[in-house]
Amino acid sequence: MLDADVEVDRREFTVRAALQVAPGERLALFGPSGAGKTTLLEVIAGLVPPRRGLISLGDRVLTSTVPPVIALPPWQRWVGLLRQNPGLFPHLSVRDNLCYAPTASPSGSALSELASVLGIESLLSAMPARLSGGQAHRVALGRLLLAHCDTLLLDEPYTGLDASLRRTLTDLVGSLIADRSIPAILVTHELPDAQAFADRLAVIDRGELLQVGAPNEVVLHPASRRVAELVGYLGFVPSGDKVAGIHPERVMAGAFPDRGLVLTGVIPACRPAGAGWEADLRVGEAMITCRLPDKPPISDGEFTVTVLDPPYFDAEGSAVLAARAECGITQPEQVRR
Amino acid sequence: MIWLALLGPVIALLTHLSGSAIASSLTAPGALDPLVISVESGLVTLGVLGLICTPLAWMLARGKLPFPRVWEAGLLCSLLLPPLVIGLLLVFMVGPYTPIGELLGHFNLSATNTFLALVIAEVYESAPYYVLGAQSAFASVEPRLEQQAGLLGDRPRRVFRRVTLPLAAPGLAMALSIAWARAMGAFGAVIIIAYHPAGLPLEIYTTLQETGLASALPYALVLLVVALPLPLAAYIWSARAGRRRRG
Repeated sequence: MLDADVEVDRREFTVRAALQVAPGERLALFGPSGAGKTTLLEVIAGLVPPRRGLISLGDRVLTSTVPPVIALPPWQRWVGLLRQNPGLFPHLSVRDNLCYAPTASPSGSALSELASVLGIESLLSAMPARLSGGQAHRVALGRLLLAHCDTLLLDEPYTGLDASLRRTLTDLVGSLIADRSIPAILVTHELPDAQAFADRLAVIDRGELLQVGAPNEVVLHPASRRVAELVGYLGFVPSGDKVAGIHPERVMAGAFPDRGLVLTGVIPACRPAGAGWEADLRVGEAMITCRLPDKPPISDGEFTVTVLDPPYFDAEGSAVLAARAECGITQPEQVRR
Repeated sequence: MIWLALLGPVIALLTHLSGSAIASSLTAPGALDPLVISVESGLVTLGVLGLICTPLAWMLARGKLPFPRVWEAGLLCSLLLPPLVIGLLLVFMVGPYTPIGELLGHFNLSATNTFLALVIAEVYESAPYYVLGAQSAFASVEPRLEQQAGLLGDRPRRVFRRVTLPLAAPGLAMALSIAWARAMGAFGAVIIIAYHPAGLPLEIYTTLQETGLASALPYALVLLVVALPLPLAAYIWSARAGRRRRG
């Protein structure tokens, strides 16, 4: 179990977070750039000292700011950190990179087995400069696994790689983590990457953990309007004394009052998006974005959509789903232009 | 054209030398003593630079020293000072009537007109070139690679040996070879505080004064032959290391 409860001062704000990641569990730390995600990983890795905190990994205390004060140096932590830049040693071959850690065996069967799993067995004698981005990441991952790290920290490792390669590497990392039964944390500002990787999703903004939960739960039921904004809700429509969050991908054409909030407005513009269309829908003063499978009509005429089970927020931005049920509001009211 | 113009003095030297003149100059009794002295003092200078200036360059590159700009300004000052002025100032610093000179005297050493004085002059003339070159070499090593090595279980000294030093080595070799060339050719400070024993530059100067240009030219050739191979070897090795890294 990786257990971290830390406070780290940064220039603009203080990063405060309490995380527990079980062996074999994958946690995605999701948030905008500059939210403090990387700082948290660097604190766990021992590269940045926290102002206050306790970090333990299994039965080992890595950092403790309360007596007895403990601050294990990075080389005694056995924390694997994989960054966007794989950080391969350019003067060493792939084989020497893989076997860099003092605990890695250069001639053991572990090397050939892992190289085979990672698909880099034909690259062992190559120099890092000859590798593609995906190959370099595989080698860097293999190096961490051969070092027998007790936890894996992934700091936006797939940025710059194409989508299919990201997915392949994500699946590979997931299976290796499960095999090794080690806790893993992925830092990313790409929600699809976080969802593809994680058992649990933690949303962080300006150093504060806003919500932790199953990825689907966090996306469908954000705890606050800010979380909703971060996970992709692009529009907010007044609904009584509350505000409904509109996720573009949770919208379907037509009126289905039993499935959610029905909105009627006009579509001033739309554009192709993926295999469908992305349309702007003006509802009263609000403008929302919705993804539709078919091209909607652009006209002054009314167009009706249903927002599937939207989250509601009060004036302070807190989610009020539970309150809605308690108040007996089972059906959101229809908002008309 | 520019290349030929830059090499013009060397070409002129080669065209004005005859085999018989070289032989007669270099076979005279004691003719090779300046060469031996220059090589010995140069090697000691390189040793001093490697031991003392390498850690300084690393600390400057990694920002481990307080007031780094002050340190860099000091280095630039010593780089920009004319060698003759360095020699004059060294007299005031390590001359026989200074505290350092008196301290050396207790050990029967002197920092004027001795081999030690020659080494001191060469160190002062070459150190800025080495430190600035080595600082640049260390700065070119990504700190994140060192971090990564630490996270993989290496202690700092082991990281330095396995990552920092190999990656900085081509730049360090170039810096060291330039320092070697500067030490071999050191003259301005040397003529002030180390007139004896004479190394090659001083021998060229005294021969020129006493017997003329023709007699001095063979020593100039020897100086070039001694001073240039190391920088050339460092350049070739550095290029090869770069090619190897590129696979």
